[in-house]
Amino acid sequence: MARFLIRRLVLLVAVLFAVTFLGFSAMNFLGDPLFNVVGLMAELDCEGIEAGTVEDTSMDRARSDCETVAAARAEYHLDRPVPVRYVLWVSDLATGDFGTSFQNDQPVSEIIREKLPETLILLVMAQIVSLGVAIPWGVFAAYRANRAFDRTSTVVSFGLLSVPNFALAVVLLYLLALRWQVFPSAYESDTAVGLVFSMILPAVTLGLPLAASYQRLLRTDLITTLQEDFVHMARAKGLPPMRIMFRHALRPSMFSVVTVFGVSTGAMIGGSLVVEQIFGIPGIGREIVTAVVRDDFPVVLAIVMLVACAFVIINFMVDLLYGWLDPRVRAR
Amino acid sequence: MSAATRASRQGKESRQRLLRRFRIVRLVRRGRTPEDSPDDAAVRRRLGVGFWLAIVWLVAIAFVALFAPMLPIADPTEVAFGGPRESPSLDAWFGTDALGRDVFSRTMYGARISLAVGGFAIVFGMVVGGALGILAGYYRGRLDQAVGFVFFVLLSFPALVLAILITATLERSLLVVSLTIGILAVAPVGLLARASTLVYAEREFVAAARVLGAKHGRIIVRELLPNVVIPMGALTLLGMAVAVVAEGSLAFLGLSVAGDDAISWGKMIVDGAGLRDLQNATHVAMLPVAVMFVTVLALNFAGDRIRQYFDVKELPF
Repeated sequence: MARFLIRRLVLLVAVLFAVTFLGFSAMNFLGDPLFNVVGLMAELDCEGIEAGTVEDTSMDRARSDCETVAAARAEYHLDRPVPVRYVLWVSDLATGDFGTSFQNDQPVSEIIREKLPETLILLVMAQIVSLGVAIPWGVFAAYRANRAFDRTSTVVSFGLLSVPNFALAVVLLYLLALRWQVFPSAYESDTAVGLVFSMILPAVTLGLPLAASYQRLLRTDLITTLQEDFVHMARAKGLPPMRIMFRHALRPSMFSVVTVFGVSTGAMIGGSLVVEQIFGIPGIGREIVTAVVRDDFPVVLAIVMLVACAFVIINFMVDLLYGWLDPRVRAR
Repeated sequence: MSAATRASRQGKESRQRLLRRFRIVRLVRRGRTPEDSPDDAAVRRRLGVGFWLAIVWLVAIAFVALFAPMLPIADPTEVAFGGPRESPSLDAWFGTDALGRDVFSRTMYGARISLAVGGFAIVFGMVVGGALGILAGYYRGRLDQAVGFVFFVLLSFPALVLAILITATLERSLLVVSLTIGILAVAPVGLLARASTLVYAEREFVAAARVLGAKHGRIIVRELLPNVVIPMGALTLLGMAVAVVAEGSLAFLGLSVAGDDAISWGKMIVDGAGLRDLQNATHVAMLPVAVMFVTVLALNFAGDRIRQYFDVKELPF
């Protein structure tokens, strides 16, 4: 177990470095880094303005812009050579200094702290929805495998997996919020109950396709488990079928679902960008899209790094969990 | 029906059931789920009506996308082709959007970017990912570790987030968007190519070629490539479905190909998804949603049938 842990840890660190290096390259090698950070201000001739040789239409504005540029240079260590810059930037990240948005002069860590809770609530609710739907669905489908219910649910889950997230969002928004007005169409944060209630529709949008894929995995695994001797034993003892399904067969059939849990989190983070956009939830996803449109690169970079590192760490933990559940994995 | 025949029927039935149960036990011993095998065998023999329906739809969409400018449909960018938000009619089959543009012709033109990006992305993924995967699987060792690490890192980003990182820094042209989504395809395709190379590299015909003095390059191109291409090709349509959805999501966020004449399904859907439009002119968003859904469904369905036909395993991602 210790060797397995150490090997996994080394891989984790290596991947984190690679991920941050990719982000760093995007900032430093795709275009001029200074321009990436401050936008058009980078083109100001600051030395000329300082020396008074260049006249600008509004000198005060130009001076303050030049101060911003100087601050950006210091913040992102742009006067240092590239390798040093990378090390300094990564250690900034590690200490929670995510840089500054020079479009609205706000530290990025503050923006993230403000927006992260909304996204986390959404993701957790979506996982609850998907597991809550998928487990009973998968169990009933496997209980009567290849009967009418199972065949219909195969078609339904295939359809659900083929709906793009944003299309599902639009359809649900139209049907449940506008037509039948079951759920509110907009985000509200006045009360905790209102917040959770207004998040139901977004969570269902994210969770339903995921529930479909969980259901397929669970069904396949359950059908295999139901052939096991201990299930026959339980049946022979005369236990009620649902008790057998939920208490005896369910747990050993959860492997695939657990494995996919980590990967699906990534898909959900991607989906949450879209869902936050359409339901107007002020979360990380909405922030990053706004930032891309405004060319606010520091915010984009910081959020991408945060999300990618979180995703790597989640998958690492799922790996460990999996190794703990199934001893054969540790030997790999 | 006499009582005797009924009894014998029942006897026969239970005998059949008994036989089936034995077969199930045998199959389980071999590590397969019992209900999979008869299905698979039936599917492998023929592709079925649904498959051909899906193919007809895809060919029609591809035809429209290719020849859209030559077809007798309205100019998709013509503002005030009709009044704003008109319901579907004989003049405008899908109605008009908020600017009075013809939704039907926009939907037809929208197929162009979706299919172009989807097609390019999957070809890029197959060429780059396939090459890397085969080399890694054939040479093993250090190269394998390095390539495996690159794939692992690529998969460490949630797909849409990696796409945003790239589109945030480069200008959003058709090529950049296609490349971005192509990069997303590299790691899954590469892992698949590597896995099947590992299997085939152990086979006797590869050993025979080596004994006959074939060089590495020849073994890879003449012996391995034709075998590895089959499972990769079988998953093309499934990959394309993913790519089309990815492009749609980027377009929905306003991060796909820029410009007013770059019409995309995702962009059309977000245009019609404002609460007022959704309430009063549902068709503006719903008809592109329907066309896109049917297209992705057709890609998935046909892709899944082909996958079963060639007996290729599902990708775990």
